[in-house]
Amino acid sequence: MGSSNWSTDAYHARAAYNAAAGSSSFAYTDDVASSLPRDKWKVHPSLDPHGVTVRESRDSDAHPESLAVSVLFDVTGSMGRVPRLLQKKLPDLFGLLLRKGYVEHPQILFGGIGDATCDRAPLQVGQFESGNELEDDLGNILLEGGGGGQVTESYELAMYFMARHTAMDCLDKRGRKGYLFVIGDEMAYGAVKAREVREVIGDDTRENVAFPMILAELQRRFEVFFIMPTGSAHFGNEDVRGFWDTHLGQNVIYLDDLEAVSETIAVTIGMGEEAVDLAQGLEDIASAGSDAGDVVGKALRPLSRARGSIVVSESPDGLTGDAAGGVDRL
Amino acid sequence: MSRTSGPRADEHAIVVDLGFGDAGKGVTVDLLCARRRYGAVVRANGGAQAAHNVVTPDGRHHTFSQFGSGTLAPGGPVPTHLSRLAVVDPFALAAEARHLAELGIADPFALVTVDRRALISTPWHQAANRARERARGSDRHGSCGMGVGETMAYALAHPGDAPTAGDCAHPARLRRKLRLLADHLRDRLGDHPSGEAGPDGTAGSPDLEECVSAYAAFAQRVRLVDEAHLPHLLASAPVVFEGAQGVLLDEWHGFHPYTTWSTTTTANPLALLAEAGRPGQARRIGVVRTYTTRHGAGPLVTEDPALGSLLPEPHNGTHPWQGPFRIGHLDLVAHRYALAATGGVDSLVVTHTDAFAGAGPADGSGTADAVEATDGRPLWCTAYANPDGTALHLVPEASPDLERQERLTRALLRVRPVLAAIPDDDLGGAIGRALGLPLEAEFGGPTRADARVSGSRGRGPGRGPRRGRVTRRAPTRPN
Repeated sequence: MGSSNWSTDAYHARAAYNAAAGSSSFAYTDDVASSLPRDKWKVHPSLDPHGVTVRESRDSDAHPESLAVSVLFDVTGSMGRVPRLLQKKLPDLFGLLLRKGYVEHPQILFGGIGDATCDRAPLQVGQFESGNELEDDLGNILLEGGGGGQVTESYELAMYFMARHTAMDCLDKRGRKGYLFVIGDEMAYGAVKAREVREVIGDDTRENVAFPMILAELQRRFEVFFIMPTGSAHFGNEDVRGFWDTHLGQNVIYLDDLEAVSETIAVTIGMGEEAVDLAQGLEDIASAGSDAGDVVGKALRPLSRARGSIVVSESPDGLTGDAAGGVDRL
Repeated sequence: MSRTSGPRADEHAIVVDLGFGDAGKGVTVDLLCARRRYGAVVRANGGAQAAHNVVTPDGRHHTFSQFGSGTLAPGGPVPTHLSRLAVVDPFALAAEARHLAELGIADPFALVTVDRRALISTPWHQAANRARERARGSDRHGSCGMGVGETMAYALAHPGDAPTAGDCAHPARLRRKLRLLADHLRDRLGDHPSGEAGPDGTAGSPDLEECVSAYAAFAQRVRLVDEAHLPHLLASAPVVFEGAQGVLLDEWHGFHPYTTWSTTTTANPLALLAEAGRPGQARRIGVVRTYTTRHGAGPLVTEDPALGSLLPEPHNGTHPWQGPFRIGHLDLVAHRYALAATGGVDSLVVTHTDAFAGAGPADGSGTADAVEATDGRPLWCTAYANPDGTALHLVPEASPDLERQERLTRALLRVRPVLAAIPDDDLGGAIGRALGLPLEAEFGGPTRADARVSGSRGRGPGRGPRRGRVTRRAPTRPN
């Protein structure tokens, strides 16, 4: 019980926390990876989209005004950290949505996106949940870590599923779209391929659907956002950024630090629900003890400007040096 | 990860010790979590001084201190939530996680959420606690030397400066608070004649930077959550509130000064439920042994050293700060007082029903006079007799008054127990009847496999009107 133990205790505690940082509670992944060869890996039954009629977000006594929020993330090699981070940050996502009344009854769905051309688990989709079950869904996600190296993943297949295999009371009863966040760093394929739909989802379809078509269909049901980590492998790739900028415009969110992903999603929804403007949202997350404010602020400023929820003071005419408008000087 | 199998629990449970601690809250929580699926085990009082021993039927043993005792439940560990009313010791949490990992828990830290508002206890608090206890000499209060009381005291005196779990994620803020704490304690205790290096700048004091970086690693690894988390948790699944210590050590109802700086009744869990808009929506479960124990100084009216040789205590030895583990006959008077102080419970768990088996005079030890006098049947205390022969009635008061509690303590040190044989071979049942409570379960051995669970889930007295059910997640879902 000597006092000389203090620093040793601190050392051992820090070592224990740091040693654990690399491990995960993705029990299903750990189990599968340690017991089966890769070509035998398959999606956990609770997340298998095959044969699913619809994933539902419904009102109930406990949650009379449900709002569907879905977060689908790339689980291929380049993005392996995201699900682990999300799992750690999950309680905060609920907390942030609830605490300031951005959303009273969120129901959150998680999913994983891989590459249907080469992965065993190209699409994994949980249920809309309002409780701890979400953590089970996350724990059951298979982190295949594959991907093909062609800078494309099957985002369009996930979008097809979300457009055609979801049912939401927020939309059906109240005409409010759900939210869908895709977190990734590559492009989608140009079309949803009928063969992949048959194999992965089980729909009997013969026709490919072009990417812009399925996106438009999806956007009638969800506010769709693409979150791209600026530190990711393909951030510097102009094709990837150009692709998403073209299709989603201000709804592409460039995020410097994935640690801030929960806060970013929460504030985006807060602004979407018109519960807060960006400044208030940043204040809220700071008061919740988060120091992600700078990162979130930077990521969401373009979106916030597009919504016009922040008043930007403009210079009086003629005082700017910009020749594109106002008075030419000299 | 919460369990994915087994029937879901249908209401929140609060587990409270009706004695001085060590009655068996750990095994009770383990049993609850083994039988039903709970969303979490929630700690709502005390800190790392809790020592809840759980032995699994396959022989694994762990002393739970910061983790909830549902961690070894079959079918998967139940997550732990350390609420704003718990005191968190990141060092103790780390040490415990290491041992749980050895027992086969895949990623213990992933099981834990911590309210950012929860106070943390630090080596500085610990040092102050020990210095104070040393200064009391033979007059020790029986604290555990973990600094939990010191943590509470400092927070009450300096509400804005007490380090919290949330501060661990902000090194600059934490560093400032730890410096203030160290300065404060040096001013108060620095020149104390303890003969050992204090919490000051002398050799052997805690290294501030070491601690800051260890706490940062804690914040990085364990999920810190805000005030919306627990209400949400309570809305989505039934939980178990695992009490620490016992009602008879309660800061207001215990026997001053031999008390803990913590509310050990059901008040804290009920407060958290009320904050979440679910006042009273829980089943309150009281726990007693078939005999009454106390670890540390203070009144133990029925104490009988002879019982020590009859009733071995594998997990509670002599503690460097608390002193020897003390044993007495079942003290109905004290347990009834505890029941009144906590506002009643709904059912009872009785542990150690096997303790007296073979403890009769036949073993020839010749030391258990009291047990011999009643044909080897265990005794209970039905009343306290003052030196003048009158009875001492033990009644809790609603308003806190430490002077009154101190007078009570002095009176308790003078009374003699009125002992009688427990009238029945069905120990658990007899104790339940004597306390007026339906039996939830009784333990005839150390593990959940030794528990006999009562068939009836009858409602106990004093429960008041039946409360609303815990709401459940309802969306129907194909597939």
